[in-house]
Amino acid sequence: MRTITYAQGIKEALVEEMRRDPTVILYGEDVANFGGIFRITSGLKEEFGEERVFDTPISENAFVGAGVGAALTGLRPVVELQFADFLFTAGDEIVLKAGMWRYAHGGAYRVPLVVRCPSGAAGVGPEHGQCPEAFFMHAPGLKIVSPSNPADAKGLLKAAIRDDNPVLYFEHKLLYAAKGEVPEDADYLVPLGKAAVVRPGDALTLVAISAMVPKALAAADRLAKEGHHIEVIDPRSLCPFDRPAIVESVKKTGKIVVAEESYRTLGVGAEIGALLMEEALEYLDRPLRRVAIPDVPVPTAAVLEKFVIPSEEKIYQTCRELLS
Amino acid sequence: MDRNLKLQIYRNMILSRRLEERIAELIKAGQVGGFMHPGVGQETLQCAAIAALRRDDYMLYAHRGVAYWVARGIPLEKVLCDLAGREGGTNRGKGGVMRVVYPELGVLGESGTLGGCFPIASGAGLSIKVKGGDQAVLCFFGDGTSNRGTFHESMNFCAVRKLPVVFLCENNGWAVSMPTERSTAVKDIADRAKGYAVPGKVVDGNDPEQVFATVSEALQRARTGAGPSLVEAKTYRLWGHWIGDPESYRSREEVEKQWRRDPIPIYEAKLAQEGVLNDSLRSEADADARTKIDRAIEFMQKQPFPKPESALEDVFA
Repeated sequence: MRTITYAQGIKEALVEEMRRDPTVILYGEDVANFGGIFRITSGLKEEFGEERVFDTPISENAFVGAGVGAALTGLRPVVELQFADFLFTAGDEIVLKAGMWRYAHGGAYRVPLVVRCPSGAAGVGPEHGQCPEAFFMHAPGLKIVSPSNPADAKGLLKAAIRDDNPVLYFEHKLLYAAKGEVPEDADYLVPLGKAAVVRPGDALTLVAISAMVPKALAAADRLAKEGHHIEVIDPRSLCPFDRPAIVESVKKTGKIVVAEESYRTLGVGAEIGALLMEEALEYLDRPLRRVAIPDVPVPTAAVLEKFVIPSEEKIYQTCRELLS
Repeated sequence: MDRNLKLQIYRNMILSRRLEERIAELIKAGQVGGFMHPGVGQETLQCAAIAALRRDDYMLYAHRGVAYWVARGIPLEKVLCDLAGREGGTNRGKGGVMRVVYPELGVLGESGTLGGCFPIASGAGLSIKVKGGDQAVLCFFGDGTSNRGTFHESMNFCAVRKLPVVFLCENNGWAVSMPTERSTAVKDIADRAKGYAVPGKVVDGNDPEQVFATVSEALQRARTGAGPSLVEAKTYRLWGHWIGDPESYRSREEVEKQWRRDPIPIYEAKLAQEGVLNDSLRSEADADARTKIDRAIEFMQKQPFPKPESALEDVFA
C-alpha cells in the first residue's frame, strides 16, 4: 500500500467524491483560486469548474446556511471554514439549522452537508487554535468526526460526504503532514460511529482523540518498555459515539485515561466519565483521569501553548500514576 | 392580470382571513395551544406574491399568518394539524404551526430564529444554479429581520453569485413592540439593495396587482440568471404580534386608521367596479372558505396526538 499524508488523504477524498457524484460541491473562503489556506483544495477549481468549487465572501452565516439550503434541495455541499473556531461565527446555521432543520420539520428533508473544520493548537492562539468538538457534541442532529491519521482522514471524509446528515469534519492542523498507508480503493470508507483499537492491551484503556493519538501511542510505547500493555482507543467519530468499544475495553483493563485537546470541563472525557458511571462503574478499579486543556483559551506564545496542550509526557505521567 | 388570476388571489385572501379568524377563536377557547402570529392585513400581499410562483419554485415564508400555506395550496387539514400538534400535519408535532413544510411544492420550512431563512434561501438558489435550472426562490421576511446580519450577508452572497432569489420584505411597521422607525435607520428597506448592487423596489403591499407584477418581474429576472432582487411591500399588521397580545405599545387610533385601509374590502370594491366580482361570487367565496375550514377543523379534531416516543425520531436520516 502507498504512503500519503493526512492532507493528501483529505484531498483524495474530495476529488474522488466530486468525480463520483456531480451533486458534491465545495466552497469556502479562499478554497478555489488560492487552493485553501492549508493548500488542501489546490487544483480542484481547475478540474471541477467555478460552479462546483468557488470562493466565498467573509460571510460564514450566509455560506454555511446556504450549505444547509443547498443540502435540502439536492446538493451535497462540502463547506470549508478556515478555522474550526469559526463554527461559532456560524453558530445559528450549524446548531439550529444544520442540526435541527430535519427534526423541526418532522423528517421531511435530509441535510447532507459536510463542514470542514481545521482545528487544533498550532501556534495560532485563541480564536484560531481550538478543538471545539465537545461544544457540538451537545447539539442534537450533528455528526462529528475527528480523524487522527491519513487513512481515517480519507475514509471518514468520503463516508461523511455520502452521509445524508450534517457532519462536522475536524481536521487537525498539526496532522496535515502526518504520513501513513492509505488504500487506493475509490470505495474505501471508514464508517461513522466505529472506534478503532489502535493498540491492543490489557493494563489500561487510553482513549485519545485526533492529534492526541500519536502522542498516546508514543506514551504507550514507553509504558510497554516498563511492562505495561496499554490499550489505545481512537473513537474517530464523536457522534455517533462508539460507547460499547470504550465500555468493553474498560471491562478488560479496569482503568481509563482520556486525552483530548478540548477544555476539561464538559469535554469528551467528562462524557466518557458519565458513560462509565452509568454502564461500567463496577469494572473500574481506579477513578477515571482526564488529560485536557485546563479551561483557559489556547494561548499563542509557544511556551504557553506547550504548557496547556496535553503532551506525550503528561499522558505518560497520568497513565503511570494510575498504574502505580 | 386576467380575471381568473384576480379571482384566485381574491379567494385565497378570503380563505386566509376566515381561517385566521377561526384559529383565533380556537386558541381563545383553549382548543389548540401553541403560538400563532396572525397575518391579518398581510394576506393580500402574501397571496399575490405566491400567485407569481411556478409549481417547481422554492419558497421560504416568514413568521406571520396562514396565507403562505393557503396560497401555495397546502391542504388546510395539514396546517391545522400542525397548529394542534397532531398527526396528519406536515411536521409530526415537531415544529408546530411555525414550521409547516411541504416538499412537493418547494416549501422548505421556516427558521425559528428570525432571519435564519436568508441563508437557506440562498442555498436553494445555489442548488438551482449548480443544476442549471430556471426555477427561482421566493424568500419572505419582515422589516425587523432586515436588521439581522444574515440579511446583509445573504444579499451580498446572492448578488456576487447571481443566485435566483427574490427577497420580499413585508414591512408592516412593527417588530413585536418595536416600530420600524426606531429599529431601522433607512426609511425604505428597499434602499439597502443599492449596497449590494441589486434592484430594490417599493410597492404598496395592500395592492395585490402591484405586488404580483413586481414579484413576477423579479422572479423573471432570477430565472434568466440576472441574480437576486429586493422587493419591499409596505403593509400593516392589523392584529397583535400573537393571538392574545395586549398591544400596549401602539395606539388604538393608529390601528383604527389602518383598518380603514384593510386591503380586502378595498380589493373587493375594485374587483366589483371592474365587473370581476359581484355579490353572488363574493358570498360564494366566503361560503366556500367556511365550508373548507369546517371540514379541516373536523378532520383535525379526529386526528390522534403523536406517540410520545416519536419525539426520539427524525433527528438523523
